[in-house]
Amino acid sequence: MSDPSPDSSAKRAPILEVRDLVTTFDTDNGTLTAVDGVSFQLHKGRTLGIVGESGCGKSVTAFSIMRLLPQPMGHIAGGEVLLDGVDLTKLPPEEMLKVRGDRMGMIFQEPMTALNPVHTIGRQLSEVYLLHRTKDKREALRMSVDILDKVGIPSPEVRVGEYPHQLSGGMRQRVVIAMALACKPSVVIADEPTTALDVTIQAQILELMQSLQKEMGMAIMLITHDLGVIAEMCDDVVVMYAGRVAEAGPVEKIFASPSHPYTQGLLASIPRLEDERKALLETIEGMVPSLSDMPVGCRFQNRCPFRTEVCAKHPPVDQVGPGHTVACHRWREIPSYVNKYSGNSSPEASTKEDPAQS
Amino acid sequence: MSTPSDQSPAPLLEVKDLQMHFPVREGILLRAKKSCRAVDGVNLTVAPGETLGLVGESGCGKSTLGKTIVRLYKPTGGQIIFQGDDLAHEHGSSLKAHRRELQMIFQDPVESLNSRHTVGDIIAEPFVIHKMGDDAWRKKRVRELLDKVGLPANAAERFPFEFSGGQRQRIGIARAIALEPKLIVCDEPVSALDVSIQSQVLNLMLELQRDMNLSYLFIAHNLAVVKHVSDRIAIMYLGRLVETADAETIYRAPKHPYTRALISAIPEPDPTKKKQRIVLQGDVPSPINPPSGCPFHPRCPHATDRCKAEVPLLRDVGETGQQIACHYDL
Repeated sequence: MSDPSPDSSAKRAPILEVRDLVTTFDTDNGTLTAVDGVSFQLHKGRTLGIVGESGCGKSVTAFSIMRLLPQPMGHIAGGEVLLDGVDLTKLPPEEMLKVRGDRMGMIFQEPMTALNPVHTIGRQLSEVYLLHRTKDKREALRMSVDILDKVGIPSPEVRVGEYPHQLSGGMRQRVVIAMALACKPSVVIADEPTTALDVTIQAQILELMQSLQKEMGMAIMLITHDLGVIAEMCDDVVVMYAGRVAEAGPVEKIFASPSHPYTQGLLASIPRLEDERKALLETIEGMVPSLSDMPVGCRFQNRCPFRTEVCAKHPPVDQVGPGHTVACHRWREIPSYVNKYSGNSSPEASTKEDPAQS
Repeated sequence: MSTPSDQSPAPLLEVKDLQMHFPVREGILLRAKKSCRAVDGVNLTVAPGETLGLVGESGCGKSTLGKTIVRLYKPTGGQIIFQGDDLAHEHGSSLKAHRRELQMIFQDPVESLNSRHTVGDIIAEPFVIHKMGDDAWRKKRVRELLDKVGLPANAAERFPFEFSGGQRQRIGIARAIALEPKLIVCDEPVSALDVSIQSQVLNLMLELQRDMNLSYLFIAHNLAVVKHVSDRIAIMYLGRLVETADAETIYRAPKHPYTRALISAIPEPDPTKKKQRIVLQGDVPSPINPPSGCPFHPRCPHATDRCKAEVPLLRDVGETGQQIACHYDL
């Protein structure tokens, strides 16, 4: 638990490794593949962002890792989820109970639905401790008060006796975070933790997560559709599109020199504060194909401005730079992304493969 | 507020001291003992062809303000002067006549479209309500409108559930522009959409504004989106406006402590930028029990005793038309 050199973490074994995860759902229209061959690694004390639009499989990935897929429709159809080298997909359900909440915690999007409205905060928090840490109810409650204090809830000894509806949205999300962190897990999966919150409350929650990570050293997997949150919170990013990883790499690289046309389009289409007002925004034409109707080969092809015949084949995962991979046939040929925003970004980012300069 | 319009034409919409208080019923007899002051004395103007952005956190009353302006609610007090007429106390047919020029786009494109009507019926409904044209003319207009918002003509025979979120919002826009209104109140029109679809819809709205000389009251919580489409921006907090200025000034030189905190709290999609974040403590208070004095004082880092006692009114600062509701020049 005590590691003197957190910076060398990238070279050490990851805490959590997902290899070629395939998750399917049985529906009336046949079997749909929501996650199709997703791989990534999570390291101690670092934050990995998973970004993508609705339906890209980012939440399903999280639920697959936690083995919380809706039953009986959802299945992990292939791949491995290795937590400290142990494949979670092979664990019997009773063993998984010991992992969940103890070594892995999860923060859910909607704090109102993640909490049980008919139980007090204290009872819900104590449950975690009674499952994993102690048999003594009074001690569990005392531990609950401690963790509530830690996540910045004022007068926690009063709050443990209250019900979720008595708290504001931000406070409820703090309780959900307290639950996820109750047993000091080594991995925390946060599924859109601030999407339901206001900007000023979001700032509080993000700051809390950062300071708790600094203190407890857990690895965070942060799922969001907000590229701003990714930029502020994450060390590494996985960009997902239609159930697959489009691009992955260190956050600075992904934002400064994205190689996948989808990542480029995504970054170009967000309105930014320093943009010229009322100018037309860049768009990605069309929309995400439905899961039952995916194109063969590259899944982005029907929206991609650089599509050729080669895109009908499954794109290989190429190495762009250290830790930076892209799943595109043509990433070397397409024009490099012009980042008109970061004037102070690192020089290497802007000189990447610019034929005009060489 | 009563500055003579020196260069700008007469405003299309002028809202004066608008109040919308909802009764809060309690006890067995459900007597209204308290009221929720959702909108509590708002003044604003929208010029022809202008977009006024309205930004605030949930519960600040921005949606209520929008709905009150199109008179989905009857205001408790104040005036809504639209093209010279006060809508606040009108009803029936005289209000209906104004509604032709005053339309609304809703946040949730799923709930705001009747799922049992075809898209053609939905878009033609304004013509039916206002008894305009015959069937053939209405069909032709629907086709034109669908084309204008970038949907295929055969969409008219289909139902809302057959469309994606972005397309449904286009249907909502087609319905709103059907009567060629002057002003459209847009209540979080792109909040429910994904980033790549959001930019498509925003572009459509910008193009329509140019083509039809529309005015928008653009309500949203995402300041980057609002700044992109707006000429001027008003920041709302707990039923009141705390700052108004042109869009560029709000972002570059915000004067109200709440605006400053709000802007600093927006996560920017640029990892190289490490900015000084002002993290506000606490939550937005309830509009049922608003704090005394300045509504922002319990969270304000600069609050003094005066802020607890005295309600600050909007006042001019600088020459650019910037106004803040704060006692101090911070």
